[in-house]
Amino acid sequence: MLEIRNLTRRFGGVTAVDGVTFDVPAGQLTGFVGGNGAGKTTTMRMVMGVLGVDGGEVLWQGHPVTPEDQRRFGYMPEERGLYPKQRVIDQLVYLAELKGMGPRPARAAAEEHLERLGLGGRATDRLEALSLGNQQRVQVAAALLHDPVALVLDEPFSGLDPVAVDSMVDLLRERVAGEVPVLFSSHQLDLVEALCDRLVILSGGRVVATGAVEDLRSQGPLRYRVRLDADAGWVRDLRGLHVVDVDGPLALVEVVDPGGEQALLREATRRGAVHEFTPVRPAVADIYREVAA
Amino acid sequence: MTATHTQTPTATTPREVVPAPRSAWVTVARREIVVRLTDKAFLGGTLLTLVLICGFMGWQVWDSSRTSSYTVATTQDDTVMGERLAAEASGIDEGVAVRSRAVPDAATAQDLLRAEEVDAWLHSTDGGWVLTTLDSAEGGLTRVTQDVVRSAALEDQAASLGTTAEALVEGSTVTTEFLRGDVERSQLAQGVSFAFAFLFYIAALTFGYVIANSVVEEKQSRVVEIIATSIPVRQLLAGKIVATTVIAMVQMALYAVVGLVGLSLTEYSELIFAVTGPVAWYLVFFVAGFVALAALWAVAGALASRAEDVQSTGTPLLMIVLGVFFGSFFLDGLARTVASFVPPFSAVLMPARMLDGDAVWWEAVVALAILLATAVVVVRVAERLYRRSLLQTGGRLSIRQAWSSPE
Repeated sequence: MLEIRNLTRRFGGVTAVDGVTFDVPAGQLTGFVGGNGAGKTTTMRMVMGVLGVDGGEVLWQGHPVTPEDQRRFGYMPEERGLYPKQRVIDQLVYLAELKGMGPRPARAAAEEHLERLGLGGRATDRLEALSLGNQQRVQVAAALLHDPVALVLDEPFSGLDPVAVDSMVDLLRERVAGEVPVLFSSHQLDLVEALCDRLVILSGGRVVATGAVEDLRSQGPLRYRVRLDADAGWVRDLRGLHVVDVDGPLALVEVVDPGGEQALLREATRRGAVHEFTPVRPAVADIYREVAA
Repeated sequence: MTATHTQTPTATTPREVVPAPRSAWVTVARREIVVRLTDKAFLGGTLLTLVLICGFMGWQVWDSSRTSSYTVATTQDDTVMGERLAAEASGIDEGVAVRSRAVPDAATAQDLLRAEEVDAWLHSTDGGWVLTTLDSAEGGLTRVTQDVVRSAALEDQAASLGTTAEALVEGSTVTTEFLRGDVERSQLAQGVSFAFAFLFYIAALTFGYVIANSVVEEKQSRVVEIIATSIPVRQLLAGKIVATTVIAMVQMALYAVVGLVGLSLTEYSELIFAVTGPVAWYLVFFVAGFVALAALWAVAGALASRAEDVQSTGTPLLMIVLGVFFGSFFLDGLARTVASFVPPFSAVLMPARMLDGDAVWWEAVVALAILLATAVVVVRVAERLYRRSLLQTGGRLSIRQAWSSPE
């Protein structure tokens, strides 16, 4: 497991990452969410050792992470490119060899990963001849092919079509099934919600929320949506509820006093038919908006 | 959960990945070489240069071996001179052959000239001789004719004075010699010095930009972040310098061999062996100087953030390389002697002085030691600058920023 402890980084007078602490448990996908400039990339670069830290530390399996450990991590940097003029297979073999693999296992791993990502037929093409989405798959292959013990992926899904996302998620899930911790950042909150087990939300260089996705969602305000026959304006008069929105027969309310939703249901059935009465868990996007505001 | 600092066993599962190999630079160098050798622009440029060298050498060989034949018309009294010209021309210039043709009168000679049946009309006037050609001067024929006519006139006048032409010109020849070395060798030394200074200039500049661009390419696409988490950055730099040096040397050697083979076919062929010893010094200095400059070019690449920035981050190096090139033939006397110990000028100037016979062996050894020591220091400084600027992505960096920036 990967532990980030009090990590701090300043650029000039600006503190880009300010005492960031969170865990990336083994065998789980941890989503790393935050707006532009929140400090996600800076944090990930510090975890990988390509950027020095001004304070705090990164622990791997309980001890301070070493370059030897980082060598065995898989890393996908923010910007894409690799070597545009070089053949896909050649650069993957090269990167695998730099990770310490022999030429033969490196080639076998590169071929296997290209096959898995649906690029088996493009191995001898130059990278620049591939579409951006396919170049990104090559980048994913580069991060995975040396059988990493941990994965740090900066925006791995941006620019991928849904099918590509699926095949990549399958691959990631397969890896995670072992004991590999995965940290990935993303702007696509719906994707993060669908994929990840844990969530770390960063804002202004600080962690504003962290935990299992289910826990975070259940910590959010409990809401109910009701759909009636007639105008639902009367719900505003009930006690113990905060009305979020009323739109004709539709109303969204937040429970302030416990049992407030039962009073609402009783009053509604007394007045007429109730077509819908649903508890609404906040989506990750809602949590994000709330904590990052 | 609490973070314990006890060293838990990390090898939870055996992996294929072995610890960072000390030879990672070999992997880097191999890739750089393969990329360069499969780069069409690089191969095309090399081929074009070889073709140009071959063409130049071929032209030299053809030009020196060809013989121009002329037919010279003469009338009555002048026919003797025409025949003498025909007989002696090839002895004076082996590239010129003359056939004499006697014609009845001046008008016929002019007609034949216009019809291009003869190349020239040689005729005497009151004050001397005139060589008339159709519309352009024939340099080779003119020189030979001047020689022949001068000798003939000299002989006539000597005879009328009761002496010989040899006696008349005795003691009037001027030849040149040097206290040190000899004329031919000195000319050759100048030629070889220039050739090497030029090769160094070309290699340091073209391969300088090659290495800077390969660094900034990795930086721009952030591949360098993947590499930096795989191997020490020092190994990446070493691999790049080694690969570029090897390719530059092979390319320069190819040019030199083609040039020497060409030279062996010309009249200078016997001089080649006279310069082999000093040329060996050139190679040693060349490599040491090149390595130091290559390391600096890598820094120029690392200071840039985008390929366009290399133009400005490489400017100081461009100045240095130009300085070495012009210094190699504009510096003179004491300045030349002093500069021949100062890197990077020594890379070109000391072997040039060796070739001149102007420096003794221990001077070369001292200069080489200084150059090598400088190369080592430069590579170390470059490594620090490279390491610190390589992962900085916010625009162009100054050397000062790179030096003091945290890692």
